[in-house]
Amino acid sequence: MRSFQYLAPIPHFEYLCPRTLSELFEALDGRGKELQVIAGGTDLVIALKERMVTPKVVVDLRRLRRELGGIKVEGGVLRLGALATFSEMESSPFVARYAEALRQAAANVGTLQIRSIATLGGNLATASPAADSAPPLIALGAKVTLLSRSGARALPIQEVFAGPKRNGLHPGEIISSVELPANSDVRSAWTRAAVRNENVLSTVSVAVAGTIQNDRFGPCRVALGAVAPTPILAEKASGAMTGSKATAEQADRVARLAAEDSKPISDIRASAHYRKHLVYVLTRRLIVQMISESMMT
Amino acid sequence: MKVRFKLNGVNKTDEIEPNQTLCDYLHDAAGTTSVKKGCDTGECGACTVLLDDMPVTSCLVLAPQVDGREVVTSEGLGTRSAPHPVQSEFVEQDAVQCGYCIPGMIVTLSWIFAHAPEASDAEIKRLMSGNLCRCTGYLQQVEALKTARKKG
Repeated sequence: MRSFQYLAPIPHFEYLCPRTLSELFEALDGRGKELQVIAGGTDLVIALKERMVTPKVVVDLRRLRRELGGIKVEGGVLRLGALATFSEMESSPFVARYAEALRQAAANVGTLQIRSIATLGGNLATASPAADSAPPLIALGAKVTLLSRSGARALPIQEVFAGPKRNGLHPGEIISSVELPANSDVRSAWTRAAVRNENVLSTVSVAVAGTIQNDRFGPCRVALGAVAPTPILAEKASGAMTGSKATAEQADRVARLAAEDSKPISDIRASAHYRKHLVYVLTRRLIVQMISESMMT
Repeated sequence: MKVRFKLNGVNKTDEIEPNQTLCDYLHDAAGTTSVKKGCDTGECGACTVLLDDMPVTSCLVLAPQVDGREVVTSEGLGTRSAPHPVQSEFVEQDAVQCGYCIPGMIVTLSWIFAHAPEASDAEIKRLMSGNLCRCTGYLQQVEALKTARKKG
């Protein structure tokens, strides 16, 4: 059925490629659902082929790399431009230093060919509950900067996700960058379960970030993907982990709370029951690993 | 719309409909028939080309997105008389069966050859996991890359 439809070309649309932000905002003005923004295109081009979207206008952001791209550290903040690709995040020394969980997720998204063009902003704007960049960013306390003709506003990363495949952007708004604290004391890690290793949607993904000092956890966050309508902060788990003793028993307790925090559904990839079990196993694994790494360094 | 870009080292200007994918354009209009459409959803890698020296599945790129950029297909990597080292070793190592996946596979492996010369076997496999072969398996292809590397 699906391949049959592919014989028909994508319906016509007007293609715009603004060279400045003011040209961009002019292009975005008042178009609503008739308009789609394209960055890497790895989600949008499939959506066009499957007629999940049928825009009259497609606005390409790629000439705005100076304004919306790049990965840099300034004044204690790691700033990831919305047009940063997964390959760029995978190989950035700044990401490795301040956001190891994000580096791990970036290196495991899609394939080399997908990572070469897929962007961070696109991953967030598509708002899949399984977006792999989201749990690391939630765990690391990232904020998203949105830009529109009327200026900039910042949102906690979770609020970019309004529901499955529904983002919280206002009309005329784009994601400009993602900011998180550039603190090398913060340890972070990401892992996932999936039906295979490569080019696959995560069945469950987990990220943990925080500090350990004198055998106690400092402020910590556990974040989960693909177990709720949006990626979520595991609130009970994060609360219980913060300030507690860094032991294997505590890792087990936090992991059980993370499973309670999750609200999974059963679908083609896994049952809800199995997903909760995976949240427990993966969260425990990441925390135990965080404790043992803290003992080695 | 008018699109100007470099294809296999040659400047090209063409009138391209925005609703065409780069894969369809390269194969059907530009004459670079090494670019194969397999799944048309970015899973199989048969349509892999280099876009500004990064491997991409051209079925997920809209043709106008290449305006001002550089595209290299398997044709652009080498010729019959002067093949790319990876292309030569595909012949030497018998890394070919039906041939459909080969151009895309060669584009990806040429990128690994140039950009990840130290990659371990596991890393090579991770990097080429976006290129599916449905007949021979992958051992000869990995061997071809490694032999090309050894011969420098």
